[in-house]
Amino acid sequence: MYYLGVDVGSVSTDIVLLDKSFSVVEELYLKTRGKPIQVIQEGFKILKSKYDDKQITAVGVTGSGRNITSFLIGADAVKNEITAHATAALNIDKEVSTIIEIGGQDSKIIILREGIVLDFAMNTVCAAGTGSFLDRQAERLEIPIEEFGDYALKSTSPVRIAGRCAVFAESDMIHKQQLGYKQEDIIRGLCEALVRNYLNNVAKGKEIIQKVFFQGGVAANRGMKAAFESALGFEVYIPPHYNMMGAIGAAILSSETVKKGEVTKFRGFNIAQSNVLQSSFECDGCPNRCEVVTLEENGNTIGCFGDRCGKHSSKMTV
Amino acid sequence: MKITFPHLGNVCFAAKALFNELGIECVVPPPNNKEALEIGTLYSPEEICLPFKIMIGNYIKSIEEGADTIIITGSCGPCRFGEYCELQMNILKKLNKKVDFIVMDVPSDIGIKEMFSRIGKISHSSSKSKKEKIKALYKALKIINMIDDIEADAHYIAGYEKNTGEAKRFLNKCKRDAINSKSADEMINILTEYKRKINSVEIDKQKKPLKIAIIGEIYTIIEPFSNFYIEDKLMDYGVSTKRTLSPSWWVKNTALSPLRINSLDIKKASKEYLPLCIGGHARECIGEAVIAKNEGFDGAIQIFPMGCMPEIVSKAILPTVSKDLNMPIMSLIVDEMTGEAGYLTRIEAFIDLLERRRKSVLFRS
Repeated sequence: MYYLGVDVGSVSTDIVLLDKSFSVVEELYLKTRGKPIQVIQEGFKILKSKYDDKQITAVGVTGSGRNITSFLIGADAVKNEITAHATAALNIDKEVSTIIEIGGQDSKIIILREGIVLDFAMNTVCAAGTGSFLDRQAERLEIPIEEFGDYALKSTSPVRIAGRCAVFAESDMIHKQQLGYKQEDIIRGLCEALVRNYLNNVAKGKEIIQKVFFQGGVAANRGMKAAFESALGFEVYIPPHYNMMGAIGAAILSSETVKKGEVTKFRGFNIAQSNVLQSSFECDGCPNRCEVVTLEENGNTIGCFGDRCGKHSSKMTV
Repeated sequence: MKITFPHLGNVCFAAKALFNELGIECVVPPPNNKEALEIGTLYSPEEICLPFKIMIGNYIKSIEEGADTIIITGSCGPCRFGEYCELQMNILKKLNKKVDFIVMDVPSDIGIKEMFSRIGKISHSSSKSKKEKIKALYKALKIINMIDDIEADAHYIAGYEKNTGEAKRFLNKCKRDAINSKSADEMINILTEYKRKINSVEIDKQKKPLKIAIIGEIYTIIEPFSNFYIEDKLMDYGVSTKRTLSPSWWVKNTALSPLRINSLDIKKASKEYLPLCIGGHARECIGEAVIAKNEGFDGAIQIFPMGCMPEIVSKAILPTVSKDLNMPIMSLIVDEMTGEAGYLTRIEAFIDLLERRRKSVLFRS
């Protein structure tokens, strides 16, 4: 009996299987590359060879692609990333009071007290400091992203980089390179600038107290962890499955819905072989002009959403 | 004279009925949508607030349908709304649109004589008798009060209904039928009928739905397109919502303001945090948050357009209010650049937060 959790994010799609005690038995980390459906099919192909549909007790989805995914795979719980991340962190440690989560395009702060989410914030106007930006900088410097953080740790005297805006941070980095600063000092400076940006924008006005969890893809960057620790003045913990926390949270949340006596809506691993088509159109039924998305599997419509009035989505057969 | 006006929530119902009764031709602009916003963004200054842009979109669409006179309300307060009419006149002039503006404002700002001369401009083009004109105005006021009441009822009942979505369906149908009615009397009949229908929606009194107050800048909370239909979404989630600011509230508030007896409860509630009027509805925003707590609400959502000065001030005060009252308050900022996905995530997460908070409080006691 397993709980399946899927987190379809901007950069990566994570799939996990949890056992009854919520320990991870299987994890898949795939790049979304803007094609959520194909990536899930790819992931399911891998899982299909090892597991049977009947072994899945409940399915939860989260991430920015949660709606389309829930139609595709049949989800019992469709939850936002904030709740999912908080649930996963609390499952590991009830004492956690702050969660710093930095993913591909989003950065978030979640404030918890005594096991309840008290407050949260997300980046609104700027994506500096998120995974995509770091990816791009690593590529520009021709350093594999996996080693990016280690470079930062080698630095002895970090350079100050302007971190208010991703574009300006990049120009400033180039400028500092032209001046001849060492690469590791620039990378360390960048990490510090991004942490400053995070603390001043996303975490503005929030009380960060211990114990702090750092999760999301960017937590892999040891330079960022070090920069957070030096800015905050205390240790920041990175949970073991830091890049899977969203999916783990979704799986745990799904177990709660099915507990109430429902049978899972899971549509089976076989969708890996289906021919799935997605299309969108602008409805001209009224001046609202909703953008409606439809999802077809082997010629049958399995999902339809985006219309406000329910004209299209209520026609659904499933 | 062919009159038009920018959208502001349910004002279009009352305005349509009023001009129909007065026998003045009027153009109701198409409901706010992407097209209105695109047109508005094209012609407006980049850094102006969202309502301005949507309003420009409304004007252009109405002018295409032959409107030649625009009625808006003015203000001489400290917020940018006071500049709207002048800037908008300027923009339309540059676009070579031949339209008249009639700016309605309170006598304390423009003088009673000027106010009567402006009202005169409209009233002279009506061939009706004085008695009929007063009757028309009375009916329009009745309509705005009724539709705002119906909307408020539907938003509140949505948390208690037995068949999910019933209140929302009636509300949408009510608006559709009302705007298509031929006369003010017909509209009043339709509204009376739907008021009865919405209030007879089967409810479950045992339910304890989440209750959220919608506070913030008046345009962005009243005009659903500008806030991504947040109230509809909350109805779908089975949350009861309350919003104090509405066109009918505004009419009452403006009428009572010369006597300084407007919104006394709000003024009293906000006294500790913001005892002054700083423009816009910042003081109301704070006051409503305090009142919401006293009425047993679980949380409040503040919405305002990017760059809204009064609401930025209240946003800075709200965390203190939230801490003192032990009630979560979330701020959402909207403009044409706002992405819907992140916006929805915030709303969902806020509802989860309120839900889980309540559950664990129940466990402890």
